[in-house]
Amino acid sequence: MRSSPQAPSGAHRLLARRVVLTGHVQGVGFRPHVYRLAVARGLTGWVQNRMGAVHALVEGPEEAVSRFLREVVEQAPPLSDPHLSEAVETAPEGGGSFTILESDAGSDVSIFVPADTSVCPDCLREMRDPGDRRYRYPFINCTQCGPRYTLIEAMPYDRANTTMAGFPLCEACRREYEDPSNRRFHAEPVACPDCGPSLRFARQGKTVIAQTEPALAATAAALKAGDIVAVRGIGGYHLVCDARNEASVQRLRQRKHRPDKPFAVLVPEAGVDGLDGVRALARVSARAARALSMPHRPIVLMPRREDAELAASVAPGLGVLGLFLPYSPLHVLLLDAIGGPLVATSANPSGEPVLTTPAEIEERLSGVADAVLHHDRPIARPADDPVLREIAGTVVPLRLGRGNAPVELSLPFALEKNALALGAQMKATVTLAFGNRAVISPHIGEMEAARSLQVLEDVSRSLQSLYGAPAGVLLCDAHPGYTTHRWARNQGLPVVPILHHHAHASALAAEYPDAVGNWLVFTWDGVGMGTDGTLWGGDVLWGRPGNWRRVARFRPFRLTGGDRAGREPWRSAAALCWAVGRDFHNTPDGGEIARRAWDKGINTQETTAAGRIFDAAACLVIGRTHVSFEAQAPMLLETLSEGIEGQATPLPISCGESGLLEVDWAPLLDPLNDRRRSEGERAAGFHASMAQVVPDLARALARQFPFGQIGLTGGVFQNARLVREILNRAVGLEAPLRMHRHVPCNDAGISFGQVVEYAARARGEDG
Amino acid sequence: MKLEDSHISLAHGNGGRFMRELIDEVFARHLSNDTLDTNADSVALSLPGERIMFTTDGFTVQPLEFPGGSIGSLAVHGTTNDLAVAGADPLFLSLNAFIEEGVEVALLERIVADLGRAATETGVRVAAGDTKVLPRGQGGGIYLATTGIGVYRHPGVLAMNEIRAGDVMLVSGPIGDHGIAVMLAREQFGLRGDIRSDAASVLPLTRALRAVPGVRFMRDPTRGGLVSVAHEIARATGLEITLDEPSIPVRPAVTTVCDMLGYDPFYLACEGRVVAVVAPDAAAEALRAWKALPGGGDASVIGEMRALVHGGRVLLKTELGGLRILEELEDDPLPRIC
Ligand SMILES: [Fe+3]
Ligand SMILES: [Mg+2]
Ligand SMILES: [Zn+2]
Ligand SMILES: [Zn+2]
Repeated sequence: MRSSPQAPSGAHRLLARRVVLTGHVQGVGFRPHVYRLAVARGLTGWVQNRMGAVHALVEGPEEAVSRFLREVVEQAPPLSDPHLSEAVETAPEGGGSFTILESDAGSDVSIFVPADTSVCPDCLREMRDPGDRRYRYPFINCTQCGPRYTLIEAMPYDRANTTMAGFPLCEACRREYEDPSNRRFHAEPVACPDCGPSLRFARQGKTVIAQTEPALAATAAALKAGDIVAVRGIGGYHLVCDARNEASVQRLRQRKHRPDKPFAVLVPEAGVDGLDGVRALARVSARAARALSMPHRPIVLMPRREDAELAASVAPGLGVLGLFLPYSPLHVLLLDAIGGPLVATSANPSGEPVLTTPAEIEERLSGVADAVLHHDRPIARPADDPVLREIAGTVVPLRLGRGNAPVELSLPFALEKNALALGAQMKATVTLAFGNRAVISPHIGEMEAARSLQVLEDVSRSLQSLYGAPAGVLLCDAHPGYTTHRWARNQGLPVVPILHHHAHASALAAEYPDAVGNWLVFTWDGVGMGTDGTLWGGDVLWGRPGNWRRVARFRPFRLTGGDRAGREPWRSAAALCWAVGRDFHNTPDGGEIARRAWDKGINTQETTAAGRIFDAAACLVIGRTHVSFEAQAPMLLETLSEGIEGQATPLPISCGESGLLEVDWAPLLDPLNDRRRSEGERAAGFHASMAQVVPDLARALARQFPFGQIGLTGGVFQNARLVREILNRAVGLEAPLRMHRHVPCNDAGISFGQVVEYAARARGEDG
Repeated sequence: MKLEDSHISLAHGNGGRFMRELIDEVFARHLSNDTLDTNADSVALSLPGERIMFTTDGFTVQPLEFPGGSIGSLAVHGTTNDLAVAGADPLFLSLNAFIEEGVEVALLERIVADLGRAATETGVRVAAGDTKVLPRGQGGGIYLATTGIGVYRHPGVLAMNEIRAGDVMLVSGPIGDHGIAVMLAREQFGLRGDIRSDAASVLPLTRALRAVPGVRFMRDPTRGGLVSVAHEIARATGLEITLDEPSIPVRPAVTTVCDMLGYDPFYLACEGRVVAVVAPDAAAEALRAWKALPGGGDASVIGEMRALVHGGRVLLKTELGGLRILEELEDDPLPRIC
């Protein structure tokens, strides 16, 4: 904060100050807040949006001005996070009133794109008031709630720059929009039944009902009858059906070709804190309860209650449920009508970004949904529902999406050149970095899908234009086969490839800017390309961003079948057995071909991937040879281990080639195959053994590679049982254990890590 | 076997008597025709047409013999197929043989006989040739190179720049047989079962389409398979190509091996298939023409060209309705799943 030299005091002295407020001050009702405060203190002057910052001139008695400066931050609207970055004394302009000036699209770059927020209590009250003109209106919103990121097409955040531009305000709405004392003053998406978006119900591509209220009624009737309805929401369409109707849920699985992957369930609010409905389905900790009620209403994974009244196929074989509360007025109305939980899964062919337009739904999902509930407010860009999970006492994100993205984090070092990081192959996100700011996009999808690349291109373009920060360099994963690696090479910009696990480790380190000394980071996931061209995934990196060194790993093993290994746990199990000269009998038809390929090294790669060791264990314990989604096998294994104490089998650590410490997984095989013990005991024992590796390696490495903290990163650490076991077993270690807090530990965090790693290296080269 | 030695020695390449015998007893005997004169420095060719088509290709396949063919038949089919898909009738071939010291003469003879048979069946004559012997360790047993001459016989123009948005893509038969057959033979998998190379002349297929108006372009999907042909077309035309997975014919045995080894059949080489791009209203007729031929029963419409959406790409509409990017072939694809 810059401040002008102190002038002689005097309560009645007239004073004028030019004020600049930065931070989250857009799309959160900040200008009306400034206006109301200024008017309340009898000040004159003006307030204006200037590309992300709010500028104001306040003029009046010195005491009133000082009070204003204090209150403008202290009493800021709940969704805002202002920073008073300038308050310079200036010459009084002597105006007679306080006015709100038109936004100025200047060249300032301190832009914050606001996120989508669930409907607020004030709007809910109006929506449920039969006397209100927005009674039961599914698009009600105000300065404190409603869509933002998904409807903003350009900055500054003004109605003309949103997808609401095509809905001219009616007289009544205009009065509210222009009245500084109204809570809808400059609520950009403001709308009412007379002038705003409406609903349309369609079957087989034909509009059946074009009015909002009957369309809602038809949707509710269809859902009650067991139909699957595609419902257009905030960041895309959902496929919705009755979560208690087993036949409906199974039909949805069949049509979506999604046999096992759990569906998220939208649960009506009930009880004092709104969570009674959720509590009937899952065990809700205080932390999870807080997370569920956050303004963006994320999906939270929680332990399923035995007596949960839900169709069995909502989350087959799994001990956790993904539940969330309704966040848009439309979802509230639908749940009110149904009075029970609804499956609400992203409407998309598997792995693709969520679909956002009626045309896409007709083209791509005509055979999946029985009916569609459309609305006519365009979605500027998709945002899937965000997913959180409580892991060892901390609620962490597993997927960034609607309402919690774009996520903004600070970089430890400022960048010379704006960078766009393109993430990994799975769970892709992009991160735009400029100065010391990094903005992470919502979840995009699996990059193998054509539409993922389209959305990645669109999101990349729009982030650069929204923030006024065109990229000067592209960052991609070092793996030459990744879709984004190839795409990056065709863009005509300099490309810096970053190793997958360097990105994982750097993402984690950047979440702890105050960390002192080196990191010892366990990078456990599926596979990523390493410095030596082999596939890493069960390693320990030592150092800090810009300077990582691999110091330990699991004993490498050879996998056949390329990418197929991720969906075929038997390949991992076979690889471990074959490597130690054991037989493996649980191969599918044609398994002898794979065995011969393994012997001869045909399309066979060496890896250390811990994720594949989990796959192997799941196959050996449960006998599951194939899964329908990545990480399904470890999730089943985690569920099996629930409530059972595990016996750790010590895994020997030796000094392997080139000075790397090597952990041998071979002693795991006997206990995993021990039929005298139950599946649950074997699963629990396996988790214990893997967890014990962390403290054992940390102790073994401590002398040669001193570190200030131990990090856990990579998709394997989405496993709550594993992390809890590690924490229990790490008691007594001198360095604290660090996990992700703001960025997913899975590959969704890679784009952010790429930026951190690049920034650190760029700084290293300068100094 | 008329040669004194049972194995090729450097003497068979020194220009003397041994070489003379090798050419006479092995090459001339199996390849003789009215144009070939092993004593002449050059031959005169009479070519019945205006547009002379000319192509060349080298063959280094391992192993030299595999189920369904050998490097000999491949040396004929590879080059004549390139002429055929360009709209020509192949007429003459030249042959260069690079033989490694120590190769069994019996093997060489089988291969040359195979080559002669394939030439006769395809209706081409070997009109010129040369042999060289390489010191042991400096060759893969036998390398062959053939150059082909033919005359253009297609009634219209065949070229990539004839392709328009809306055109459709056809394939004449199951893909991947050659790639898998050769790989299994090379690695000595000893699989019982019957995956044989599809190596054959595609001339009957390309000739059959001469009666079909609206054929834009043909190509034989050899190295890099179907996807590489599609990428070439996408790059040259700026169009996007969507292939329809369920429509692409692949033999179950090939699918099984691909599943087990982690290969994608769309990238595997064929040596006897044709990919054609035709106008949408010509597809049915082209398909009928192919299906009427022996071995054309699995011909299928497999994809379509669309105006550019986001840059020339090749996409696969999967069995489950997803739309997957088919990247250009990489030398040694590494797994990508994290
Ligand atoms: Fe990873
Ligand atoms: Mg060729
Ligand atoms: Zn509100
Ligand atoms: Zn209105």
